[in-house]
Amino acid sequence: MPISDAQPQPSRRPLLEFKDVDTYYGELHVLKGVNYVVGEGEIVALLGGNASGKSTTMKTILGIVRPSSGTVSYNGAVINTMPTAERVKRGIAPVPEARRLFPRMTVLENLEMGAFTRNDTEAIEADKERVFQLFPRIKERLGQAAGTLSGGEQQMVAMARALMARPKLLCMDEPSMGLSPAFVEQVFDLIQAINRQGTTIFMVEQNANMALSIATHGYVLQTGEVVLAGSAESLRNNTMVQEAYLGGA
Amino acid sequence: MSLPPVARPQRNGVSAFWEKVLSEKWQARVAVTLIILAALFPIIDNNEGDIDAAANATAFAMLALGLNIVVGFAGLLDLGYAAFFAIGAYTCGILASYQVQPDWSSFWEPFQWLGLVEHLHTTTADKVHFTVSFWLVMPLAALVAAFFGVLFGAPTLRLKGDYLAIVTLGFGEIVPIVARNTPYLTNGAQGLNGVNTPKLFGYSFGVMSTPYYYVGLIMIVLLIFASMRLKDSRIGRAWMAIREDEIAAEAMGVNRTRLKLLAFAIGAGFAGATGTFYVAKLQTATPEMFMFPVSVMLLVMIVLGGMGSVAGVVVGAVFLQLLQSWFLQDLTQGVHWLGQVTGIAFFERIDLVQSIELIFGIVLVIMMLYRREGIIPARRAVTALTVAEQAAMPTRGADIKGPEKLHHRAVDLAKPLLEVRGLRKSFGGIQAVRGLDLTVMPGSIVAVIGPNGSGKTTFFNLVTGLIEPSGGQVVLAGENITGLKPDAIVARGAARTFQNLRLFANMTLLENVLVGAHARTHAGALGAVIRPPRVRREEHEAREGVLGILGIFGNRLMPRIQHLARTLSYANRRRLEIARALMTEPVLLLLDEPTAGMNPTETLELTEQIRGLRDRGLTILLIEHKLNVVNEIADKVIVLDHGEKIAEGTPEEVHRNKEVLSAYLGRTAATVAATAS
Amino acid sequence: MTFQDVLLQQIINGVSLGAMYALLALGFTMVYGIIELINFAHFNIFMVGSFFALWVMQAMGIVGQSTILWGFPLVGVLLIALVVTMLGTGILGVAIERLALRPLRGVSGTAPMITTIGLSYILFNLILLNVGADSKNYSNPLPQLRWEIGGATLRLRELMLWSIALILMVGLHYFVRRTKMGKAMQATAQDQEAARMMGVDVDRVVVITFFLGSALAGAAGLIFGLYYNYTSFIIGYSAGLRAFTAAVLGGIGNIPGAMLGGILIGLIESLGGQYVAVRWTDVIIFSILVLVLVFRPSGLLGAAAPSKS
Repeated sequence: MPISDAQPQPSRRPLLEFKDVDTYYGELHVLKGVNYVVGEGEIVALLGGNASGKSTTMKTILGIVRPSSGTVSYNGAVINTMPTAERVKRGIAPVPEARRLFPRMTVLENLEMGAFTRNDTEAIEADKERVFQLFPRIKERLGQAAGTLSGGEQQMVAMARALMARPKLLCMDEPSMGLSPAFVEQVFDLIQAINRQGTTIFMVEQNANMALSIATHGYVLQTGEVVLAGSAESLRNNTMVQEAYLGGA
Repeated sequence: MSLPPVARPQRNGVSAFWEKVLSEKWQARVAVTLIILAALFPIIDNNEGDIDAAANATAFAMLALGLNIVVGFAGLLDLGYAAFFAIGAYTCGILASYQVQPDWSSFWEPFQWLGLVEHLHTTTADKVHFTVSFWLVMPLAALVAAFFGVLFGAPTLRLKGDYLAIVTLGFGEIVPIVARNTPYLTNGAQGLNGVNTPKLFGYSFGVMSTPYYYVGLIMIVLLIFASMRLKDSRIGRAWMAIREDEIAAEAMGVNRTRLKLLAFAIGAGFAGATGTFYVAKLQTATPEMFMFPVSVMLLVMIVLGGMGSVAGVVVGAVFLQLLQSWFLQDLTQGVHWLGQVTGIAFFERIDLVQSIELIFGIVLVIMMLYRREGIIPARRAVTALTVAEQAAMPTRGADIKGPEKLHHRAVDLAKPLLEVRGLRKSFGGIQAVRGLDLTVMPGSIVAVIGPNGSGKTTFFNLVTGLIEPSGGQVVLAGENITGLKPDAIVARGAARTFQNLRLFANMTLLENVLVGAHARTHAGALGAVIRPPRVRREEHEAREGVLGILGIFGNRLMPRIQHLARTLSYANRRRLEIARALMTEPVLLLLDEPTAGMNPTETLELTEQIRGLRDRGLTILLIEHKLNVVNEIADKVIVLDHGEKIAEGTPEEVHRNKEVLSAYLGRTAATVAATAS
Repeated sequence: MTFQDVLLQQIINGVSLGAMYALLALGFTMVYGIIELINFAHFNIFMVGSFFALWVMQAMGIVGQSTILWGFPLVGVLLIALVVTMLGTGILGVAIERLALRPLRGVSGTAPMITTIGLSYILFNLILLNVGADSKNYSNPLPQLRWEIGGATLRLRELMLWSIALILMVGLHYFVRRTKMGKAMQATAQDQEAARMMGVDVDRVVVITFFLGSALAGAAGLIFGLYYNYTSFIIGYSAGLRAFTAAVLGGIGNIPGAMLGGILIGLIESLGGQYVAVRWTDVIIFSILVLVLVFRPSGLLGAAAPSKS
C-alpha cells in the first residue's frame, strides 16, 4: 500500500505532475494509476526494479507513449497528447537509457541535434561554450563519430546533447548504467552541477543509493504502482527501501 | 424516446451463426458439403467453358495452398513462387513431350522396356521420345521443384523478411529468363509442344476439361488435408514459432534454418506437382506463364483469403480465378451500362477483364489497410483436452505440483555441470565480458548479480549460443558447447528464459509450451501428415507433459491454457517462459530476472517454485536484482561488474565484500557499511 | 570499330543508364534508410514520371522528335518539364505515404511491403487503362548533336542526362549534409526514437523523404524518355528492379552507395549486353542482387546489415 510523505511540502511548485496515469503496451497494463510530483529546481529519483514501469514513465513524459487515462501536466498545462517535438520546445529534454547517441554523426552534430527545436543561432553557440565548460573532454572529440566513443564519454555527450535544448526539465534514464564506479561519481557530480544551474532533474535509476544521495525527493515503483514516495532522506531511512535496494538486510 | 433493442441481438445472431459455421464440428460438415458440391459440379453445369475455368481454378488453388505453407505458416514472403511452378512444368515438359529428343542408342533400351521412353523413327534419324507417365512425373516434378527450393533457400533463408522477398523475386525473374534462353529444353518463347496427356487405366484424358477437373479436385483435397495436419503438428508449431520470434524459437530448440528450408521445399513441391498438372492440361508451357504477375496473383489470393488459413486460401484462390473467367465479362457489361446511364465516359470504356491487375492491386491495399487477417482468418486451433488430460489438472491453490522428474538425463553429481573458462565477448570496441571463469555444481542454485550493463545477459547469451564468444570455453556436463547453435545447446540440456520476455505472442499457452518439446520429439513433415501411432503417442505424451509442467504453477496458468500468450499479465508471462524452458527437459535452467515485474507476494511464490525445481534435480543459474531473492535461494553468488567477476561466494560472504558494495551499491552504501563495521 | 572504341562506347552508354538507375536507387535507399521499407510503388512512380514529363512537354507544344530547340528555349522547356514532373511525382509519393503507408507504420512484418506491391499494381494499371498498351513516342526537343571520340559517339542527350543527374545528386547531398531537415533525416535513419526525443517530427521527415525520393524517380522517368525516345506502362518493372539492385549493391540506406551502385549496374548492363549477350543481362543483374544479399548484405559501401543475426 502506498505510504505518502508524512509532511506535505507547500513550498514545492510542481513543474511536472502525473495524476492517476495508466499506460498500456499492447495488452500489458504497465503503469497503474501512478502519481508523481516533480517540483521546480528539485532532483527527483524514481527507483524500482527492471520491468517495474520506470522506462515507461520516461516515455510517457516525453510523449513517446500516451497514457490511456489520467493526466500528465507540465508547467501548469495538461500535455497528455502533446507531440514530443512540442514538449522538447517547451523545455523537456531527455538523456535516454543507453545514451542513444546518433552513432554515425560526429559529436558536434549530436550536440546540434540536441538544439534541433531551437532557431536562436547565437544563443546556441553560447550554449555550446557553456556545455564545453561543464564537459571539457567533449571539446577534444568534436569531430569524432559518436559511436566510437567509450561508454563514459557517450554518457557525457548524451547529457551535453540534452542541455543543448536549454531544458527546464532534464529526464535521465539510468545515467549510471554500464559506467565504471569512478565515472558514475563524476556523472552524479555533474547532475548536481546542472541542477545548481537551475535545471530540474527527474531521474530513473537502479543505483538507489547514488540516486538518493543527490535527490531531494524519491518515488519507488513496483509492478507499475508507486509503493513509496517521500523526501530522499525519508526513503534512505525506510527499511523496505534499504532491504530491497540498498542491500541493507 | 427510446429505441427498441433490435439491432444488437440481430447482429449477435449473425455473428453467432458464423461462430457456429466456423466451429470445429461444423467446419467438417461444411467441408464435406462443399466437396460433394464440387464433385457434382461438372454434372450440374455441363458447360465445357465453365468446367475448364474450374479446372484451371483448381491449379491455382493448389499453388495458393503451397504458397500458404511458405508465407502463411512459416512467414517467409516469397515473391518468386511461380519459379517453382515453372520448374515443375518444365520437368513435365522434358519427361513427357516431344520437346527433348536425343539420338537413340542402346542406352535407352532399358528405359524403353520400363515404358519411360519410346523409340522414334523419323526419316532422318532415330530419336528418343520421353513418355514418362503423368502419374510418375507429378511426384518427380514435386521432388525436382523441392530440390530447387532447397538450393535457392539454403543460402538465402537467413535474410530478414523483406530481403528474402527481394531474393525470391530475383529467382522468380531468373527462372523464366533461363527457360526462354534454353530453347533446347523448353522451346523458348514459342512454348513446349506436344505434351503427352495423362492416361488412367487406358483412358486418355485428351482435351476435355472434366477429367482434369477431377484430378485437380482430388489433389486439392489431399493438399488441404496435408496442410491442416502440418499446421497442427510439431512442424507447424515450429514454423509458427519462427514466424513469431526467431530467436526465441531457436532458444527453444528449433533449428530455424532447417525448418525454413522444409517450408520452402514443401511449398516448392506443391508448386512442382501443380506445374505438371497445369502443363498436362494445357499441353504447352511458355515462360510468360511463370512471370512475376503470377506470383503476385498467388499472393493476392492468400492475402484475400487469409495468410495461414487453409480454408481462406482455397476460397481466395477459387474466388479470384472464377471472378476472372466467369464474372468479369458480365460485370463489365454492367459497368458499361452504368456509364451509359450516368454519362461517365470512363465507365463506358472500362474493361474489367483487362483491369484484373488493377483489382488485384486494390485488393492488396484494402486488405492490408483494413483486414490483414483476410476474409477467413487463420483461427487459432482450439485443441480440446481429452478426459485424461483434464483429469491431470491439479486442484486449485496447490503450491508445487507437477511431474516428479523434470528430465531424464544422468548427471554426475561429483563433477561440475557447467564450467566456463576465460569467456570473452567484445562488441566493436566495448568489452562486454572479459575473461569470465565460473563453475556450477549439479543441483545448486547460482545467482549472477551486478548492476545493469555489467554483462550478465551477455553472459547468458554466450552460454546458450545466441551470440558467439570472442574467446574462452563453455563446457556443459563434460561436453564443450562453445560456439554451438542455440538449438544444439538446448538439445544438450541447457534452456533459458529472457529478461525482456520472448514469448510467441500469438500462440496459445499450450502451443508455447509445446514448442519447448521440439528438440526432444521427432515427428517430421511426413509423420505429421500421416500421423502413425508413434507420432500420435509422441504428441499425446507432449501434451500430457505440458499439463504436468503447468501444474508447477498451481492454477496460475492452467485455466488459461487455450489463451493467447499476449493476453497474459506480466507475472504469468514470466511463468510461461519458465514452463516453456522446462518443457525442453533441461538439466541446466538459466533464468534471466525471473521475478522482474512481480510484486513481493508473487516473487515469494516464484522463489519457492524455483527451489522446488532444484529439489527435483535441476541446476539453476539465475540473474536477479532482488537481493532478498538471492539471499533466500542462492547457494552461490557471482558478482559481475564491467564484464568481470569481482566476487564469488555464499550470499553472506558476498555481502561483506567491500568491493561489491562500492561497485554494485554505490559509494554511499560503501561508506555506510564502512562506518557501521 | 576497335575493341577500345566499343568499350568506350559501352562505357558511355553504361554511365548514362547508370545515372538514371542511380536517381531511381536513391529513392529506394532513402525510404529504406528512414523506415526500413522496400517500396515497390517506387518502380511505377518512375514510370508515371516519364508520362508526366511527356504530357508536360506535349502541353508546351513539343510533340515527337520534330520540334528541335536550341539555347534558352531548350533549357527552359527541359527545366519546366523537370520541375513539374518532379513536383508531380513528389506529390504522388507523399499521397501514397499519407494514405496507404502511414496507417501501417509500426505494423510489423511484411504488411507495408505487400501494400507497396498493391500500390505499384494500381499505378501500373491506371496508366495502362488510360494510355493503352502500346509504347508512346517521346517528345524530345534536343538537337541531334554528336561528337566522335575515336570510334565512339557521345551525343548531346548523354551530356544532358549526366548533367541533370549530377546536379540533382549534388543538390541532394547538400540537402542531406547541410540543412537542418537533412540532419533530421540522418538522425531519424540512425535512431528514430532518439530523433523523436530531440524534437524531430518524424512523420514530417518521412513525408519529405518520400517527396524527395519520388521526385528523383520522376526526374529519372524524364531521362528515360529523352534517352530512349519512348515510354510505356511497362518500363517501371525492369528499371525498378535494376535500380533496387543498385541500391543493394551500394549498401541499402547509403546515399553515396546508391549513386555508385547505379553507375555499376548501368555499366554491367551495357558491358554485359556487349560481351555476354543481351538476353542474359537480366540474369547477370539478378544474380548480382542475390549474391550481394547473400554474401555481402551491407553492400559495397556498407549500411545497416539486412541480415537479422
